Amino acid sequence: MCRVSAFFAVSTINKREKKGRIMKSSMSLLKVLVMPSMLFLGACACKSDVVAPEPVKPAAAPAPALGDVFYDFDQASLRMDAAEQLKQNAAWMQGNSSKRVVIEGHCDERGTSEYNMALGERRAVTAKESLVNLGVESDRMATVSYGEERPFSAGSNEEAWALNRRAHFVEE
Amino acid sequence: MRYCKELFPGVFLVISFLLFPGQVQANGDDYIAIRKEGSGKIALVLSRPAATGGKESGWAERLNAEARSGLDFTGLFTMIPPPLNVAGPRGAGSQAINFGALNSVGAEFYAGGAVSKKSGDIVLSMEVYDTIGGRPILRKTYTGKESDLRSIAHAFCADLVELLTGRPSVFGSKLVFVSNRSGFKEIYKCDFDGQGMRQMTNTRSLALTPVLSPDGKHLAYTDYASGRPRLSIIDLAGGKRSSIARSGNSIDPGWRSNTEVATTLSFQGDQEIYLVRPDGSLARRVTNSRGIDLSPSFSPDGNKMAFVSSRTATPQIFILDLQTGKTRRLTYNGSYNTQPSWSPQGDKIAYSTMAKNGEINIFTIKLDGSSLRQLTSGSRQNESPSWSPGGDMLVFTSSRQGQKKLFVMNAAGGGQKRLLQMEGEQMQPSWSLIGK
Repeated sequence: MCRVSAFFAVSTINKREKKGRIMKSSMSLLKVLVMPSMLFLGACACKSDVVAPEPVKPAAAPAPALGDVFYDFDQASLRMDAAEQLKQNAAWMQGNSSKRVVIEGHCDERGTSEYNMALGERRAVTAKESLVNLGVESDRMATVSYGEERPFSAGSNEEAWALNRRAHFVEE
Repeated sequence: MRYCKELFPGVFLVISFLLFPGQVQANGDDYIAIRKEGSGKIALVLSRPAATGGKESGWAERLNAEARSGLDFTGLFTMIPPPLNVAGPRGAGSQAINFGALNSVGAEFYAGGAVSKKSGDIVLSMEVYDTIGGRPILRKTYTGKESDLRSIAHAFCADLVELLTGRPSVFGSKLVFVSNRSGFKEIYKCDFDGQGMRQMTNTRSLALTPVLSPDGKHLAYTDYASGRPRLSIIDLAGGKRSSIARSGNSIDPGWRSNTEVATTLSFQGDQEIYLVRPDGSLARRVTNSRGIDLSPSFSPDGNKMAFVSSRTATPQIFILDLQTGKTRRLTYNGSYNTQPSWSPQGDKIAYSTMAKNGEINIFTIKLDGSSLRQLTSGSRQNESPSWSPGGDMLVFTSSRQGQKKLFVMNAAGGGQKRLLQMEGEQMQPSWSLIGK
């Protein structure tokens, strides 16, 4: 974690590129932490469950689920890495045609709260517009801004900020 | 009861002043001219009012303490302890005042008086003298109930400050602000000096950006009780609440007059600033520009509006002339300028700038873009400036001690101090324009 923030503080290159990289490095960091722990847990399960092996279920294709999309600082435009999640959200909407969602726009704690309220709304709106372009009916999606009022991740560092600059999809 | 009911004990006090107007004499015009902003503090000797009798002496002590701390709060005065041999006015007929003694301690003005009791009420007779000429510049009697003692002292302070500065004073003015003390962000109200704090809303969701109408009769704020941010307006006399019945989000209201409040609405798609009546009905749209248009603050005559716009990519302060429809950009320093607050004198605008390192500071700027002045520095986030009724002071939010708290300072950035002791965070203060 420290290395990531140190890298961020020292680096003076292009902001947007830098943030993309931070996201990537925090994701890979997550993998590094999660994968050994899964292996470890798996090992434990083997020891305690020697006699009766579970019947192997065929792996089902993952159902599309609603997920969040993330934004750069002081930006409401969609990043390249949001496209896949938005496609998945559109697929969910099409597969659940009776459902409605609220798209919440959120900001990190930096800047002033009134401006963040406006920015949060624009984030929610760009996410909604993208889903409309993917064929989802506009009247099934409402937008609401929470500005910096409802952060997902506590903390005052780029990792927390990056997670808090999001459009959050909530089933109504 | 969802919303706290408002009472105006001050109204009764005003009525009592009307019933007992006392003797008023004011020749302060000469002093206004020399008391320009930036000049030194006013050297004042304030004597404890004379009193005979136990009750009256107790009142005199408390009136003196309230007046002294009130005048001290303004930051306008150097309070010089009364010389022992000053003598002073006793009751209606003044005795000789030792102006030589006052001059020798450097006093420019002398204030003293007497307290008496009439039908159980407090009668405070005050006199103010220019010590150089030895002339009386104010003689006035203040009457009220014992429960209004603080207001009686402040009524005198208001007259004194207005006489010597020519501007409305802070006395009697109110602040509204947001605090998360209850676990939810709700609106609170207190006196100018942080006294008399009380909760105004109980939304148990989010209540943000409160602002009182110029006459103090309506409170406008943004309310999440319906699940999205909506402009709400409370009639404080009756407690009736109106909300704007439009779709979309509503952000950050600012009053143009007692009958019109401006706020950002998005029901037409793009965020634009609209004028709304106190009953929640739409009057008209005032901005028309793609992107964020936000945080309206009006010139005292209501003809011009400062606001934040992202039309030039980064947030900057713009001024719209409502008569000509022309908009011009005001701020060019910094790449994140928000939260404009138009001074009650009309000559400058306070706002906040976020620096690259995330620090936020308060600046003032003249309407032509000149006289840019930084009021805070090196103390984390300093934001949400709002002017006192006379434009002598600003209330603002600062995170310099960790949590966001309310602070005040003078118009040049001096005398920065915490305003009130209250749990949780406090933010988004707005100073009412109502004076005494």
